[in-house]
Amino acid sequence: MRKIVDFFIKNTDSLTFTFLLLFSLIQIIDKNYFHNSKFNFFTNSFVNTIKENKLELIEYFELKKTNQSLINENSFLRNNTNLYLKDSFNFSQKNYLYTPAKIISNSIKFSKNFITINKGTDHNIKVDDGVISNNGIIGIVNNTSPKFSTLISILNTDLNINTKVKNTNHFGSLNWDADSYEFINLYDIPKNANIKIGDTIISGGMSSIFPENVPIGFIKSYNLPSGNNYYDIKVKLFEDIASLKNIYVVKNNFKYEIKNLERNNE
Amino acid sequence: MNNINQIIFLRFVFIIASQILIFNNIYVFGISPNIYLIFLLIFPLNYNKSLFYIIIFITGLILDFFSNSYGIITFSLLISCFLRYYFLMFSFGNFDMGKVRKTADYIKETNSYQKTTYLFLMYITHQFILFTVEIFSFEKFYWIIEKTIISTIISIILSYILILIFFRKNAR
Repeated sequence: MRKIVDFFIKNTDSLTFTFLLLFSLIQIIDKNYFHNSKFNFFTNSFVNTIKENKLELIEYFELKKTNQSLINENSFLRNNTNLYLKDSFNFSQKNYLYTPAKIISNSIKFSKNFITINKGTDHNIKVDDGVISNNGIIGIVNNTSPKFSTLISILNTDLNINTKVKNTNHFGSLNWDADSYEFINLYDIPKNANIKIGDTIISGGMSSIFPENVPIGFIKSYNLPSGNNYYDIKVKLFEDIASLKNIYVVKNNFKYEIKNLERNNE
Repeated sequence: MNNINQIIFLRFVFIIASQILIFNNIYVFGISPNIYLIFLLIFPLNYNKSLFYIIIFITGLILDFFSNSYGIITFSLLISCFLRYYFLMFSFGNFDMGKVRKTADYIKETNSYQKTTYLFLMYITHQFILFTVEIFSFEKFYWIIEKTIISTIISIILSYILILIFFRKNAR
């Protein structure tokens, strides 16, 4: 027994080092799971209040820019009111519920980026809800607490999003390759599709997360690898994720109905 | 300000706050400079080792919370902790760890080549581990190398200036 105690006293330094290293490793491995540990809830309450205060300070410097983008959105909506009322948007307005929220922390420097927003389960936000802005898809909610929630950013190599080319209606999937935060890659568009540089990419509406026809970006360049039936397309995003502040959380009212129905088929 | 714990605490607050509030919002070529490594670079040499690890661990944890990166900064900081001793020996020559030698002495006595070597070794290993653990696959080896080199260069320039401005006098 004494020898064991002696051993601990002698090697305190290396033991603490190993223990702490293991702890951080567990944290890293944990991030891949959708539902994170309780540890995250601690971060969500305390750390995020500080982040929110910081945001309030910074917001003043960007009031002019925010105003301008709001004016643009307003004029766009006013111009297109008739169009929306006639079109299928009428249905989607009932189908999807939009909640405005603000980004309080964001990163673009890693290959797996996460975003924190200032709305949570108190505002009826749940895991798996989609997040969009006026000109693009931003991410999917992966973790919630009463007042805050975190999203998997579109700039995350783990996230695939169903999209289509607006002109040709061909479906493909969007995935980030961690190169530049302005560009994102589009795969699975077949080679018989008649695509051109400058074509708009919009959300596909195949999943129950995002509404259909949300603009995402336009085709910057494309090439057909030899012996391959699918294009490799580089898409430039409309939204500048690095300077993003205001977003909307999208909730599909019929998500559980759709899911139940799909489950019955299996 | 003779108390060593006071100095460490002040540095802790100052460096973490500036990293979170200022440098996390700066993006140059798709990366932001990691100046938090200064805290480890000029940490007192004759400090209790276990406490040293724990303090660095807490630093990393706080930085992780604020940059939404689950544990990767903590992990790479701890590895850098372990490697720091060897890099110090390599760049400044052999020295006795038991002796009380201040970081200020090193800044005064050594020339800029030795300082740059130390900074370069610390930063390049730290960034390399950081990005490797973050992407967790060697498929994008080129991406890791590219990011490591860019962020190393930018961070070294910034932290060299910051150390000379702020931590020259009371470095321990």
